[in-house]
Amino acid sequence: MNKLRKQYLPFVRAGVQNLITYRMNFLGFIIGGLIYCFVMYYLWKSVFMASGGDTFMNFTMSDMVLYLFLSNVAGEITFSSVSNDIAEEIKDGSIAMRLIKPVNMDLSYLATELGGTAMRTVTFAFPVIIGLEIYRYVTLGIVMFNPINLLLFLLSIVLAYLVAFRVNLCFGFMAFYVKNLWGMGILKNSIINFLSGSLIPLAFMPDGLRTVLEYMPFASMSYTPVMIYMGKYDTSEIIFRLGIQAVWAIIIYGISKLIWVGAIRKLSVQGG
Amino acid sequence: MRRAFKIYRILVAQNLKRLMEYKADFLTGAVSFLIDQAIGIAFIFIIFSQIPQLAGFTFEQIVFIYGFSQIPKGLDHLLTDNLWCVGYFIVRKGDFDKYLTRPINPLFHVIAETFQVDAVGELVVGICLMIYSAPSAGLYITPLSVILFVLVIPFSALIYTAIKIATAAVAFWIKSSGFIIQMVYGMNEFAKYPTTIYSNFIKLIVTFIIPFAFTGYYPCLYFLTGENPVFNIGCTVFISIIFLGISLAIWHKGLSAYESAGS
Repeated sequence: MNKLRKQYLPFVRAGVQNLITYRMNFLGFIIGGLIYCFVMYYLWKSVFMASGGDTFMNFTMSDMVLYLFLSNVAGEITFSSVSNDIAEEIKDGSIAMRLIKPVNMDLSYLATELGGTAMRTVTFAFPVIIGLEIYRYVTLGIVMFNPINLLLFLLSIVLAYLVAFRVNLCFGFMAFYVKNLWGMGILKNSIINFLSGSLIPLAFMPDGLRTVLEYMPFASMSYTPVMIYMGKYDTSEIIFRLGIQAVWAIIIYGISKLIWVGAIRKLSVQGG
Repeated sequence: MRRAFKIYRILVAQNLKRLMEYKADFLTGAVSFLIDQAIGIAFIFIIFSQIPQLAGFTFEQIVFIYGFSQIPKGLDHLLTDNLWCVGYFIVRKGDFDKYLTRPINPLFHVIAETFQVDAVGELVVGICLMIYSAPSAGLYITPLSVILFVLVIPFSALIYTAIKIATAAVAFWIKSSGFIIQMVYGMNEFAKYPTTIYSNFIKLIVTFIIPFAFTGYYPCLYFLTGENPVFNIGCTVFISIIFLGISLAIWHKGLSAYESAGS
C-alpha cells in the first residue's frame, strides 16, 4: 500500500497542478456548462407551461431543475480527459515514455485524473448540490435533503466514474485508427449526452427505448446516480441499479484491456 | 482585393488537398457534427410528443428556427475556425509572430489559413431541417422576404465571427483566451429556441450584449410571421456591422499590445 502511494502520488499531484495551471480553462468549461443548464431550464419551464399541468411525465418543475443541474454535476465529476491525453501521447509518441515506466499505465492515468476530479468535486459539485437544496427549500418550503440518498449518490458516482473512465480510455485508443480526434470528441460527447440521459431524462423516452438505454453502460455514467439522489428509486431498485453499474464497470474494464492488446501491436513511435 | 482573393484561393486549395489526403478525417468530423445535430432534433421531437406547441410555435416552426440557426453558425465555422486556435494556443506559444512577418493583413491570414470542412455537418443539417419544415411551418413568402433571407444569412454569420474576433483578441493581452471564446460562444445555445421563453435579463443579454438571438430567432420571426422586418432583419444587419466594427477595433488594439511569447 505504501509502495502504491509512493508510486502514484506524484501523478495525483501532477493532476491537481495541471488543473490549477489551467484554472481559467476549467472555469470556462464550468460556466459553459451552467449556461447550458439555464437554457434547458427555460426550455423546460416553457414546456411545463405549454403542457398546462404541474407534472410532466411524473417530473415536477423542481424535479426537473434538480435533474438538470445534478446531471451537470455528475458530468463534471465523471469528466475524464483521458481520451484526449492518451490520444495526444499516441500521436506525439510520448506514450513510449509512459510505457517504459515501472507503473501500470491505466493506473497512472487514473491517478492523474483523480487529482482533477477531487478539485472539481470540492469546488463545483458540492456548492451546486448545496445550492440545489436551498432552491428546493425555498420553492417547496420543506427540507428535502436526505443524507442517505447523498451517500448512495456518492457510491453510485464512484461506479459511474469507473465506467466513464474506461469508456473514455477506449475512445482514446481510437487514436490508433483515426486522426480527427477533435471530431471524435464531439461525437463521443453527443452520443454519451444522449444515451446517458443527461440531455433528456431517460424516463421521458418511449418505453422500449428507455428499457434498452437503462441497461446500457451509458445510463450507469450519469442517470443512475442522479435518479438515486432524487429519490426516484426504492431500496430494491437502488440495489439492482448499483449492481448493474458494478457489472458494467467490470465488463468495460475487460473491453478496454482487449482493445489495448489489439491496439498496442499497431503502435509505432517515430523519433523521440 | 484581387490579390486577397488569389491568396485565399491558394490557401483554401491547400486545405482541400489536405482533405483529399485524409478523407476519413473529414468524414469523422462531418458525421460527428451531423449526429450531434440529429440528437438535438431528437430532443425537440421527444418534447413535442407531449405538447402541441412551445411558446406559441408549432413543432415545424421550432425545427425551422433550429435549422436556420445552424446556417450562420456553420458558415462561420467553415471560414473562421482558426480564431479558436489564436485564443487557445497560437499567441501563447509565440506562433503569432508568423502572421506579423508576412505582407498580408494578419487577421485575413489567420482566417484564410483554415477552411474547416467539418462545418458541412452543420450546414447540411440546417438546410435539410429548413427544407423539411418549410411546407408546414406557414412561412411568409414574398419576393422581398426571399431577398432578405439570402441577404440576412451572411450578416448573421458575421455576428459569430465578430464575437470570435473580439474574444480571441483578448489573448494579445493575457496570452490565452480560449476559455473566454468558449464561454461567450457557448451562449449560442440560446439562439436555437424562441427568445420569448427566457427571462427578461437573459433576453436583454442575447439581444444586445452577446447578440446571438439575431442569428436565429429574430430573423426567423420575420420569415415565419412577416412581422416587423425593420427590427427583425434591419437590426440583424445593423447589430452585426456594429459588432464587427467593435471587434475589429479590439483586434487592432490587441495587435499593438502584442508581445511575442515563448522562447
